[in-house]
Amino acid sequence: MSAIERPGFSTQLPKGVQLYLPDEAARKRHVEGRLLEVFRLWGFREVITPSYEYFDVLAVGTDEALQERMFKLVDRETGRMLALRADITPQLARIAATRLRDRPKPLRLAYVTNVFRYEEPRVGRHREFYQAGVELIGLPKPEADTEMIAMAIEGFRALGLDRFQIDVGQVEFFRGILETLAPDGATARALREALRRKDAAELERLVGALGPPPATGDLLLALPSLYGRAEVLERAAKLVNNPRSERALENLVEIHRLLTAYGLVEHIILDLGEVRGFDYYSGVAFEGYVAGLGAELCGGGRYDHLLGRFGPPCPATGFAFDVDRLLLALEAQGVEVPVRGPEVFIIDFTEDKTAALALSRRLRGLGLAVARDIISRGLEESIAYAREIRAGRVLVIGAPGAAAGTARVLDLATGRETVWTLAELLARPERLIEPLPAAGGVRA
Amino acid sequence: MSARPRITLALPKGRLLRPALELLRRMGVRDIPGPESRRLIWEDPDRGLRVLILKPADIPTYVEYGAADLGIVGKDILLEQAPDVYEPLDLGFGLCRLVVAEPRELWERDDPSKWAWVRVATKYPTLTERYFSERGVQVEVIRLDGSIELAPLVGLAERIVDLVASGETLRENGLVEVAEIVRSTARLIVNRAALKTAHGAVSRLLEEMKAEVRG
Repeated sequence: MSAIERPGFSTQLPKGVQLYLPDEAARKRHVEGRLLEVFRLWGFREVITPSYEYFDVLAVGTDEALQERMFKLVDRETGRMLALRADITPQLARIAATRLRDRPKPLRLAYVTNVFRYEEPRVGRHREFYQAGVELIGLPKPEADTEMIAMAIEGFRALGLDRFQIDVGQVEFFRGILETLAPDGATARALREALRRKDAAELERLVGALGPPPATGDLLLALPSLYGRAEVLERAAKLVNNPRSERALENLVEIHRLLTAYGLVEHIILDLGEVRGFDYYSGVAFEGYVAGLGAELCGGGRYDHLLGRFGPPCPATGFAFDVDRLLLALEAQGVEVPVRGPEVFIIDFTEDKTAALALSRRLRGLGLAVARDIISRGLEESIAYAREIRAGRVLVIGAPGAAAGTARVLDLATGRETVWTLAELLARPERLIEPLPAAGGVRA
Repeated sequence: MSARPRITLALPKGRLLRPALELLRRMGVRDIPGPESRRLIWEDPDRGLRVLILKPADIPTYVEYGAADLGIVGKDILLEQAPDVYEPLDLGFGLCRLVVAEPRELWERDDPSKWAWVRVATKYPTLTERYFSERGVQVEVIRLDGSIELAPLVGLAERIVDLVASGETLRENGLVEVAEIVRSTARLIVNRAALKTAHGAVSRLLEEMKAEVRG
């Protein structure tokens, strides 16, 4: 009895994981390839980190909420708890602070990898998902943050997406306010939660209960509406009343100035009320959005204190794209991603397959993908199969009724066809991918 | 000359629809269908505003997924579903309360502080579970979709958790309120991406609504 006949057995996948069949896998590779190329052009080099590590090591640098959502297992040899990585940044921060600590700075590291989190699956949110990102380690300057934002914008552009916005905030701005208020833990969480939702009504209730000095209350209540273009900086400057928030604002002003110099400011929305993102962020934090998709497609920020948890302190900044959400965005914006099968599909009716074998070898040597129809079946069926696997051209050798020593070439996209002799093809196999004449040549 | 709709607003069918349409009318939105209309989608072309009328419980989903940029929905539904959306404005109308209620005969001899295990019929399973478990009470939730107040009368559950506005429905069915879980009013919710990518149009609508609600 085969497994699938067993009662109660189902081949269904567990919740939150995905399967990428050839077309989807091709789209995913396209996205990852374009992003890695952008990273490479900015001087970043790829690193590959393990999928799982000891839980207590991964736990350093991740907040409790994320630790709760890690997939955990037990190491058979040591009995220690292991966890699948739920965030790459702490992993890379540790590597930078330990294995790479003596390398000259800055370090420019890139990655494309899967990440695992227990999440309730909803819009573009899975339990295993893919991130492509970079970390820029060793630079405290706003230029480094600007480079991250500029690269995010370049990533969107490289994929052909438009109507995207980068939402830029500064986590220290809110922390400065929180520091002057010094509320209890529960109130601080409630304030953060209300800000996360930009829930002005709830914020008003909380501020009413806290009874802060009027200027601080006004600043807090203004936070949900401190988003928009450059004028936000002026509005915030009029309200700010503590040194920590002031420094945060100055930093954001500088980054905004640099983004203006880069000519990127049309893609920027400033948001001082944005408190999403990881606890380890320590300065500028940003997220990228496209029209029509409710979740962020990339996110990142400065994390100057994370490396210090593993070794000598070192400033750092970085960001990552969510590959699955980018795929959704490409679909939503109608951006065509080339999905191709082999360039040539060879159907050989002759007994002795030497011509097909020799041609295949020559074509592969030229870097062209070639698949052969090894099953014996009718020509119509073979061509239907070639379409199914998205082949570019079909080469038919020795079809019933065709002249000996000739081959018929059919372009599946244009429907054009022509006939060559096998000698001609073997002499110059690249003609198989050159444009075919409009009027078919000799009919086979 | 009709402009392409720039933003989509979702309104809930039912008790919040009339005040929501009234709010739009005060803001000067045009071509609002009358209260008896059965149209579920219409536009004010001059504003580039498209309006959808949906089941209240579907509104958070439409807005979270971006099928609508904004929506008007009761806080009760937001608390129950916890969608990942912005919630920038309390519209003030549609005030009601989510309460625990039980039949008068039970209430006369009941002591809520002694509850250890309860069976409750409700449309709000998440809020109900959270409310009771925070008080250390085990709860068996029976999820219903309407006419909740009938459940105790037919022995489906001893108690209910439901939304009340005036309390009239409870009284008519011989039920008494035992505890209030939360108060709810209508909220404006906004898709997270829409606030950034359609910043100008969404912010203008938001400011107009704010002015109208506070004014």
